[in-house]
Amino acid sequence: MSIIRTGLQRFANIFSTGPGGILSRFVTSLAPEENKSTPKTTKDVIATCNKLIEENKSRNFAIIHLLGKQWRVTDGDLLVVEGYWPPNIGDQIKLEKVLLAGSKDFSLIGRPLVQPGLVNVTATIISKGLSHTRTHFKKKRRKQYMRINFQRAQQTMLRINSVEIANKINEPAKNVF
Amino acid sequence: MSNKHLFLKPGFVRAPLQNGVGRYVQQLQRIVLKFCKTHGGSRGMRDYIEQDLVDFAKQNPGVVVYLKPRRHRSPVVVAEYLNGDRVWMSMHNKSQSEVTKWIEVLRTQQGDVSGTRLRKFQYTDHPSIQGPWSPFTFKNPELNTAKLPDPKFGANNRLPMSATEQLRIMFEKQRLNEKDLKTGE
Repeated sequence: MSIIRTGLQRFANIFSTGPGGILSRFVTSLAPEENKSTPKTTKDVIATCNKLIEENKSRNFAIIHLLGKQWRVTDGDLLVVEGYWPPNIGDQIKLEKVLLAGSKDFSLIGRPLVQPGLVNVTATIISKGLSHTRTHFKKKRRKQYMRINFQRAQQTMLRINSVEIANKINEPAKNVF
Repeated sequence: MSNKHLFLKPGFVRAPLQNGVGRYVQQLQRIVLKFCKTHGGSRGMRDYIEQDLVDFAKQNPGVVVYLKPRRHRSPVVVAEYLNGDRVWMSMHNKSQSEVTKWIEVLRTQQGDVSGTRLRKFQYTDHPSIQGPWSPFTFKNPELNTAKLPDPKFGANNRLPMSATEQLRIMFEKQRLNEKDLKTGE
């Protein structure tokens, strides 16, 4: 068993060595590309992913960061966001904090964000309203203490219109911000 | 104490008529402002009508606005939506700014939302795109053809590492490093 373990450790060492480990080839980085020769397998993987994106056969999804929460979204999803948020009904917005994007056969993992311009997530604000009345009831027994508070939170409903992945994985990021 | 919310109808996130997929359609269709011309309870409502209502009607050409003066009755706003919902709201003794805020809420919401408690904050038609996870996802397919019981798959590999093993691993690492040094020379 110990032999198996040491074998595994060696294997893990292989994974952890090198710039960013073996998983780095799936990851797009915000840092500018350095002049490094990319290995052949990496090129193959990138070319395959680009081809899959071009064929556009399967549905895309993305994990976006919105108001402190992470949502897994795909075309036609509905989200409800709680709390004050300025966008008004009918507004079309772009959700730019993309943590991960993927399709049926590949995923692009950002660290922490996928490079700007690679994934395009658009949404429409459908409605802004208030939640149902929530009761906050506090009571301490035998202490003559009781509080009842009522509150309604603001809720904004979003429709995800599109999750598009541009056909340019591993191209250097243009600094748009 | 009010326990009303415990018995609220629970519901899921829905939008009427796939709203927002192609284009956005405003859900508020009709709004009726009922008020009294003399009573003090309608004062905020009258101020709103005098100062803000024309702008509201101009900015929302899709909304039909009715005014209904009635003697000695408290002010009320009734909003009607595309999905048939009708929201009735008393505006008694509310100031002009409060009336403005409530009418904005009525304009932007998509129906009678206060009557349901949302169970989830997301709705999706496609819960999984890369396939749902199962215990065999990312597992070695070797297991499919293995004949069980097999000492390789049946081994208890959850035991903590013993001191002897740790020493052994350290020793092997040391040996590997020595080898590396030799090859490097």
